[in-house]
Formats: sequence, structure tokens, C-alpha cells
Amino acid sequence: MKPLTPPFINQKADIPSRFSEKLPVGLTIHCWKESAGQLSGCLPEFDGKGLVLTFINYKGDLQIAVGNGQDGLQPASPGLGLLSTSNKPLQFRSSSPIHFSAIILFIPRDWITVFMKGNLNFSKIEQVLEMEENIITCRLGRRQLALFSSVMNSELKSKSNLLEIQNHALSLLEFFLCSRHRSLSAANASTGIDNEDDLSLIKEVESYISEYYCSDTFTVDSILKKTYTSYHKLNFLFKSIHGMTISEYIRNKRIEKSKEMIADNAKSISQIAYEIGYSSISNYILAFKKIYQITPGKYKKQMDSVAAS
Amino acid sequence: MSYVSLENSEPFLKCFEVIAEDKSCIVTDSVLYFSGKTGKGFITVAGVSTGIEVLAVNVSMLTDDLTFSFLPSQNASSYILSIEEISIPGRPENELSLSLSAPGDRTNSSVSITDAEYGKLVTYPKERMIRSLIVRVQKSSLEHLIHDFDAGTIGSILQSANRVSSISWPITFKYRLLINDFMAEIVQHPFRELFTIRNISVLVEYLLQQFFVMDKLSGEGNYLSTQDTHNLSKVEQHLCVHYKKEFPGVEKLSRISAMSPTSLKTKFKKYYGDTLFGYYQKNKLEHARKLLDNKVPVKVVATEIGYSNPSHFTLAFKKEYGFSPWHYLNPH
Repeated sequence: MKPLTPPFINQKADIPSRFSEKLPVGLTIHCWKESAGQLSGCLPEFDGKGLVLTFINYKGDLQIAVGNGQDGLQPASPGLGLLSTSNKPLQFRSSSPIHFSAIILFIPRDWITVFMKGNLNFSKIEQVLEMEENIITCRLGRRQLALFSSVMNSELKSKSNLLEIQNHALSLLEFFLCSRHRSLSAANASTGIDNEDDLSLIKEVESYISEYYCSDTFTVDSILKKTYTSYHKLNFLFKSIHGMTISEYIRNKRIEKSKEMIADNAKSISQIAYEIGYSSISNYILAFKKIYQITPGKYKKQMDSVAAS
Repeated sequence: MSYVSLENSEPFLKCFEVIAEDKSCIVTDSVLYFSGKTGKGFITVAGVSTGIEVLAVNVSMLTDDLTFSFLPSQNASSYILSIEEISIPGRPENELSLSLSAPGDRTNSSVSITDAEYGKLVTYPKERMIRSLIVRVQKSSLEHLIHDFDAGTIGSILQSANRVSSISWPITFKYRLLINDFMAEIVQHPFRELFTIRNISVLVEYLLQQFFVMDKLSGEGNYLSTQDTHNLSKVEQHLCVHYKKEFPGVEKLSRISAMSPTSLKTKFKKYYGDTLFGYYQKNKLEHARKLLDNKVPVKVVATEIGYSNPSHFTLAFKKEYGFSPWHYLNPH
């Protein structure tokens, strides 16, 4: 006879709403889950100096404040990573019903000196941290949110599970630092585009264009296929960053290149036109004239007379 | 034949110097690129100051065998982990080539753990595509990484395995993906230390899982013969390489492995911890997830990994991960 199987136990009920665990690599992780009509909470205190990296996700309204004061409340958005120093605790407040979950990673000072010591990228981030009122934020991507929820839903029972949590936590940390690093190096503050994905997309497209713009098989369509974006989105992004549409951008690049080639005075105009990817010379002359208000032939003559005199 | 031998206390950076003496390579920023007569590729070193050192080798078409030798020493207190994937470059993707690989021909890939006390010899054959990670980790810091796990277990498993100093087992798709990631990003990653420590942590997790499987296998008292493991790894490789195609079916796989369908199924499950189809499916969906991470639309992903119908892909994805690809793309 088969032994009777025990009734199915819903293990999710066993998960404590807050738990704290020391990870083998030396980080401390603290998970916090709450569903309440009102929320007013503070980050747990951590012993010692270091950095605190908080990932939050919620449904409802939430405000964040730095320090103990009542003022300085800022509205937050779901799926956010926040980096702050451990001596200034973060406060979370909400006056309406909220489902709130957070993962808090405490990175001790000595851990930083071991793993980040001498990393130029990290010291840049630390400088910013000092300037920007003790808090740096970053939006989580889809992969990170998947990791986030898998940490929140995991049970701390078996040992290998702890390792899994550690791996997820390290991935999140790495993501945060990398995206912060990227946004620091892409100092395009004036354009008004602050979305990480968009910025990296633009960079990718630009590098693609600069690599292939001279080939005659190069089209805007090939960019779209390669990056899986729509024409309108790309145009919008290009307009806001370069002030021109993508085809104008490519044309300008081609014509600029051709101008240099004319100045080199090694090739004929028709040769140049074919080399930068124009299939007909008259098209090329028109495009050149549109930008420099002079035909390439006249330009060449000008250059020749300058060289002769 | 290029031969690099290392004392156990010597840093991995030394192998750099040894290889760089051959004039056909360039060293920049702890990455060694070589081209020309020694093949194409790079070797990189990432030292993590808690006693973990990584040597990543990514080369193709060496004209000479390349050997790393870790000399045995009595007072070494570290383990050497190595994952290596060796394949024939430009192999035509048909199953005929599977039978072509002779037993002596080392195209097989493996994961191994060795006690550095006994030394280790790693040889990479010429004219192959080699991607491998050699990790030297101090025993103390391994315990540090897995402090809740019974720290003596690795040692005892190493001891119990017929007093052999090293255990190796065939590579699985998880390791393959790990190596792929590592090779793709290590050169230009802005936070190399963090990147390395994360990957090593993941590697340790996989190793532990494998240890549990090994433990169970030896507990049940059924080791597989080397011929069997060789055949099983052929099947595994076939499943991994042809993830874009339809599931080949047990019949065909049993022909590849030269086993009966039933024994193939049971042995595969024992060794890899998953059924044939489950293994194939997991690998496939993991590739799909990688594509989704790169912002590829769901429709394209579905066709890319060989689904004729996107909704079939959605169903399979949901079954594996618990949420649909659409939700994965749009979490908010």
C-alpha cells in the first residue's frame, strides 16, 4: 500500500515579511515585504560604515526621504534602485494602500576596499554620491525585476538557495553599478533623454552608422532590422539628440566624408560619389549643393585655386 | 608545443609572461591577444584579492598544443576548477560529424575540480576552438563562498572518489552559457572584479548542484561506465547544438548514443538530472531569455529559436518561468 501523502502545504505563507541574512561573500541582504493601508518605515540600521543599495518595487504611491527629517519627501516610481550611505537612513512613506517590497543590500566599507579598490569607475560613482545629496537612483530593467521577484519569492531553507540569492544579489549590484557607469560616461544631459535603454540604443545606432555608412547596400531599414526598433522611435530620438532625422544624419555624414575626399584631391567627383554609397552622381551633387550651397565641382575648383595660390 | 608550468604559489599573471615571450602576441591591460601562427583569440587574467584567480582562455586554431601545468606541492591549500569547451571550428551542423569524433580525439568538454596538492595538467589541442576557464580558489575562500554548505564535503567527495585527486564530469548547458557570458564581456566590463566574483559564485552554485547529483549517484551505488558517459555527453551535445531544430526524438538519440531508448532515458536522467526533452527545452528557453534580454521582440525570438508559432513559444516560456515573455519584457 502506498503511504498517504501529506496535504499540500502552501509554503508561501511561511515566508516572513522581513528577513535578514548574511551572504557568504560578505554582503548582508535584507528583504522586506509589506501590504498595508499606510506605510511609514525606515531602513533597518546596519552596523558599521558602508553603502546601502536598496531595490524597491510596489503598487500604489510612495515617497522617499533621506535622513530623519520630515521634509525632503520625494515621489518615487516602482522598480527603482537607490544607493545611499549607511549613516543616512532612507524613509519610505505612503498614505494610501500599498503593496511594497524591497531588497536592501548592505555593502560594508571593507568589502568595497577589497573588490572596488582602484576601480576608477567606482570612485567616480562615489564622488557623485557625495555631491548628489547622498542618494543615487537607477531604474531596473526587466531582467533585474525578474531577479528581484525571484529573490522575494525564494525560501531560505536549503543552503544552495542562499547561494542563488547571493548570485541574484550580485547581479543586481553589478547591474546598478554598470548602468550608473554608463550614464556617467554618456554625459548627454542637455538632450532631455534620460532613459538608459534609449541612450544605449542611440550609441549602438551611431556606431553602426559610422561603420557602414559608406557601403551602397546600407539603408535605414537595415538599422531597424538590426536594432529591432521602429522608424518613428529612432527618428524621434535622433531629432532630440542631433536635431535632424536619421536619414539627414546619414546624408550629412556621407557628404562630410566626400568633402574631405575632395580636399584630398586624389579622386574624381564621380569616383567619390560611388565610394560613399551614391548610385547616381546627380543625386550626390544635389545633396552636396543642399548642404554647402555649392556644387562639388565648383568646390573642387575653389580648393584647387587655394592650393595653387 | 607551448608549455607553461606554474608553481602553486605563483600568480596566474606569470603564465602571461611565459606565453608573451612568444613574439606573436600583444599584452594589454591583463588581456593577451594573439594572432598569426599561434591562432586567434585571447587569454585574460582576473585576480580577485580574496584568493580567487581566473584564467580565461578563448582561442581558436592553435598551431601548437598549449599546455598549462600546475606543479604539485605539499602545502597547497587550493582547488583548481576548470571548465573547458573544445570544439571543432566550422563543423557542419549535421549529425554525421558526431560519429566522426574518435574516442582518442579530445573534442569533449568537461568540468573538473582538482586538489592543487596533486597538481594538474591542462592541455589544449591544436586546431580546435577552445574556450575555457581555469579558476584557482583558496580552500578557505571556497568555504567562505559557501559557508553554510558543509565545507568539508568537497574534500570528502574528492577523497571518497577512489582516492583520485580530481573529479570531472561532462559540461552542461548552464556552464556553456556561463562561459559564453564570461568570454563576451570580460574584456570590456567596467567592473571586472565584481563581474568575476559574480560568475565564480554562479559557478560554485552549479558545482554544488553537480556535487549533489554525484553524491546521489554514488549513494545509489551505480557509477556509469566511461563508455556510457561518453555516449551520454554525445547526446547532450547534440541536444545543445541543435536547440534551434525540432526535438530529434528518442529514437534518433538512442541511435547516436548506441543505447536502447529505455536505458538512454534512465541514464540521462540520472546523469543530468533532467529528462531528455526537459533538458532540451530548458536550454532552448534559456537562449530565448538571453535574446529577450537583448530587446529582441517576442515574435522574432520565437522564430529565432525554432518555433513556427509564437503562441507555442509563449506557452512553453510560461510553463518554464511562470510568466509570459510579454510580461518579462514589460514588468511594470
